Amino acid sequence: MISIENLSVNYKSDSDVYTAISGINLTIPEGGTLAVIGPSGCGKSTLLKAIAGLIPEYEGTIKINGDEVNPKKQTIGFMPQNYGLLPWRTVIDNIRLGMKIKRAPELLDRKVLKKLMRQLGIEGLGHRYPTELSGGQQQRVALARVFALQPDVLLMDEPFSALDAITREEMQDIFLKLWQKNNVSTIFVTHYVEEALYLGQRIAVLSASSGNINRIVENPLFGGKDIRQNPEFFEMSLKLKNSIKKDWNQAWEN
Amino acid sequence: MGKLVSAWYLLAAVVLTLVWFVVSKLVDLPIIPSPVLVVENLADIFMKYIAIHSLYSLWRIGAGLLLAVAVGLPLGVIMGYFPQTDRFLAPVVYLTYPIPKIALLPILMLLFGVGELSKVFMIFLIIVFQVVVAVRDGIRAIPNETYYPLYSLGASFKDIFFEVLWPASLPKFITAIRVALATAISVLFFTETFGTQYGMGYFIMDAWLRVNYLEMYSGIVVLSLLGLILFTTIDLIERNACHWQYK
Repeated sequence: MISIENLSVNYKSDSDVYTAISGINLTIPEGGTLAVIGPSGCGKSTLLKAIAGLIPEYEGTIKINGDEVNPKKQTIGFMPQNYGLLPWRTVIDNIRLGMKIKRAPELLDRKVLKKLMRQLGIEGLGHRYPTELSGGQQQRVALARVFALQPDVLLMDEPFSALDAITREEMQDIFLKLWQKNNVSTIFVTHYVEEALYLGQRIAVLSASSGNINRIVENPLFGGKDIRQNPEFFEMSLKLKNSIKKDWNQAWEN
Repeated sequence: MGKLVSAWYLLAAVVLTLVWFVVSKLVDLPIIPSPVLVVENLADIFMKYIAIHSLYSLWRIGAGLLLAVAVGLPLGVIMGYFPQTDRFLAPVVYLTYPIPKIALLPILMLLFGVGELSKVFMIFLIIVFQVVVAVRDGIRAIPNETYYPLYSLGASFKDIFFEVLWPASLPKFITAIRVALATAISVLFFTETFGTQYGMGYFIMDAWLRVNYLEMYSGIVVLSLLGLILFTTIDLIERNACHWQYK
């Protein structure tokens, strides 16, 4: 479980203080998923970085399973936008990297890794380098890397945005399958309403200007079978889109 | 692949020797002896006279290079990874980088004497700046996203260094050494013309003053081979250490 209370982050430059996010309250139940959606520059990435323990100075509290966030104590899987794979390490070494850093050799079970790689369809790619892979394959490696760690929290920054539409949907399905098997509390940032609806149990809409949460929407469609084909899915995504547009337009006018 | 590369080297050597041969025949003066005579002479005197000189030169380059790496690599890493230190150190580096190092030779000789130390230090000075700047720029070019998954797992600086900073800067670092080495060899030649009786610079100049052109050319050939050995060693190290770049 992740609970965030009254979280604010300010960036200080030499002469200026800039508020990236302010007054954020969120809870994600154990094994739940939350989509964060918002326009560029609204502080989505800042929010994610704060939860990942990458921002040392923030106000408010971020608790993971009851303890204040601490990268040394908890296992926080972070998947950045460009996958963050190391080009100088082979696929298998990239996947093992997290365990090496966590000093968790007990996770280095060959069979488990093999199974995970098979589930992701990358079992033959272990000795390749990331630059030899397609975007979709790199994405799979990045997923293997975070899931192999069995993290307390999984954070994804616009995870599938660099992929073409068809590969993206495929990756979303693969992610859902893995998530169902592993039950990892997940927060991801996206700018695709459809992605938020497909992968998020709840959807937090960030406001365009003030750096706080506009509202949180429960997603009744989550987990249903083939919901992308469902007329309700279209309806809901349209509704969500329109309301977001309205909010963002208001912010522009102000 | 390896065989093919060696074949090209062989071809280059053959072509250069042919050009040399043709020129020597055309000019027909003792100052450009035929390569056949030079090779004969080289075979004759290499073990007797030249080997010790080439070892001295190699030692000076090796020592200067090691010193430059020992100082330049940590400095480059610090400057690249901690922007605050770069703000302070970059002006220092940029103000001293453009000074022709050879101009400092008189000072070095006063400080360290005319012997080994000033020669090694000269090579150090030439290579170290290139290493610092290359490593720093290599580290600066790493996108932040590369660090985030590691930071979020609580990676220590040691982890970051060995997983990211070292492998990311290694190719730049090797290129810097490759570029700097050519200058270093020329300057080494210059510094070896005084204050020593050993080194390829000394040998070549000494042969010249004795008007022994065959020995002079033998020395030049050995110097060229010395460079070839150094450069191919660097290439080999790069091929092995930066394997991922050739994929």
